[in-house]
Amino acid sequence: MTAPLCFENIPLARHATHPFSLTVEERHTVVVLGDEDAGIGALGGYALGLERPLTGRALVFGTEVAGLPEPARLAFRRRVGYLPAGDGGGLLQNLSLRDNIALPLRFGSGASSHDIEGRVNVMLAASRLREAAGVRPAQANEEERRRAALARAVALDPSLLILEQPFDGLTSRVASELLEYARGGESAEGARRTIFITGQEVPPVILRRVDRVYRLTRPGVLEPQPV
Amino acid sequence: MAFRIALNQVRFTALHAVGLVTLLSGILSFLLISQATRELGRFGATDFIGTLIVVAIVRELGPLLTALIVAGRSGTAIAAELATNQVLGEVRALEAMGIDPKQYLVLPRFVGSLVGIFVLLVVFDVVAVMAGFAAARFNGVSGARYFDIVLASLRAKDVWLTVFKAIAFGAIVGIVPSYFGLSVRRAPTEIPIAASRAVVTAIVGIFLCSALFVALG
Repeated sequence: MTAPLCFENIPLARHATHPFSLTVEERHTVVVLGDEDAGIGALGGYALGLERPLTGRALVFGTEVAGLPEPARLAFRRRVGYLPAGDGGGLLQNLSLRDNIALPLRFGSGASSHDIEGRVNVMLAASRLREAAGVRPAQANEEERRRAALARAVALDPSLLILEQPFDGLTSRVASELLEYARGGESAEGARRTIFITGQEVPPVILRRVDRVYRLTRPGVLEPQPV
Repeated sequence: MAFRIALNQVRFTALHAVGLVTLLSGILSFLLISQATRELGRFGATDFIGTLIVVAIVRELGPLLTALIVAGRSGTAIAAELATNQVLGEVRALEAMGIDPKQYLVLPRFVGSLVGIFVLLVVFDVVAVMAGFAAARFNGVSGARYFDIVLASLRAKDVWLTVFKAIAFGAIVGIVPSYFGLSVRRAPTEIPIAASRAVVTAIVGIFLCSALFVALG
């Protein structure tokens, strides 16, 4: 079976001696830790075809997204949930948290506005954002912004989630809640979603609940960490 | 949602600029027609104020000034807003969600600028003709005669040329600032530079386009 996410021989820095390779298996939650110097911040962009590596390739469900023509690339990305690094989580500042969550549904689901409203209400409740639904990202606190960004990432119910520094600045309790929400529940085969998490540090409580943890010690050099 | 952005753009570009356009158009037309009526009246050539209103104001200055006002107000806003979207990583996030930034961010602003300039141009021309009427009456030309002169000078070509100019200028104000706004990388210091370059380029583009219309027309 094709792995949901696979990096093949990608140089993560200009003079990297080791190309980066990693396969994320289906329904697994994999964490890669490392410093920005080690090139950790580039992985999400490579996977989604937002940036193209100089050599090597990143495959999502067996497809090199960066090699697709523009319309197909945009359509393909709707199959993947993405939470970008940064305080704002890529939320649009001129939209309320509710509208931010509704955005991928309005552009990518083809559902009626009535259905979208209903779905967004469920997601707001599930991500504990009902109170803050109407505020804009700048008026929300960091936890609310992160919850909204994650809710937006799972809005189209993707089977693969790529999360960049999703737990930075959050308490262990909130981080655990977010991880459970990202997983989308459990089925007989395991977690419903495959999750790829990158970050400089992740709370220990999260590391105990994932399938694999690696540390990027130098660009391209992955060392497995005990889970 | 894109429709809502376009509507907001029209509101900002057209509705919020109506006062400024009305003021400038009224003053310009009143001054021009007042002076022209006095000077041309000495030679018994007051009929030429019709040509002046139609050619100088409706066909040339109207579209040009309207476009410059919109480029100054909305062009800066579009470039700064899109540059901010870029710096905050919102454009990247849109692409990652499978939403085309050109469709979500640029198209509504393009449509908004197009509609906004067209609406403002109609306002400019109507106010200019009415202010010209006031100036003519003030200088002893009867209202009926003024409108006869203006209507006699107005040809279908003038109307079409004005419409084409509105479309061309609207496209410049919609596209040029969007291009400069989305061209910034990640530094907030690039935002004012992008806004400034966008407006200067849009103004140069509007003047060049206006000259092209004169050359072709």
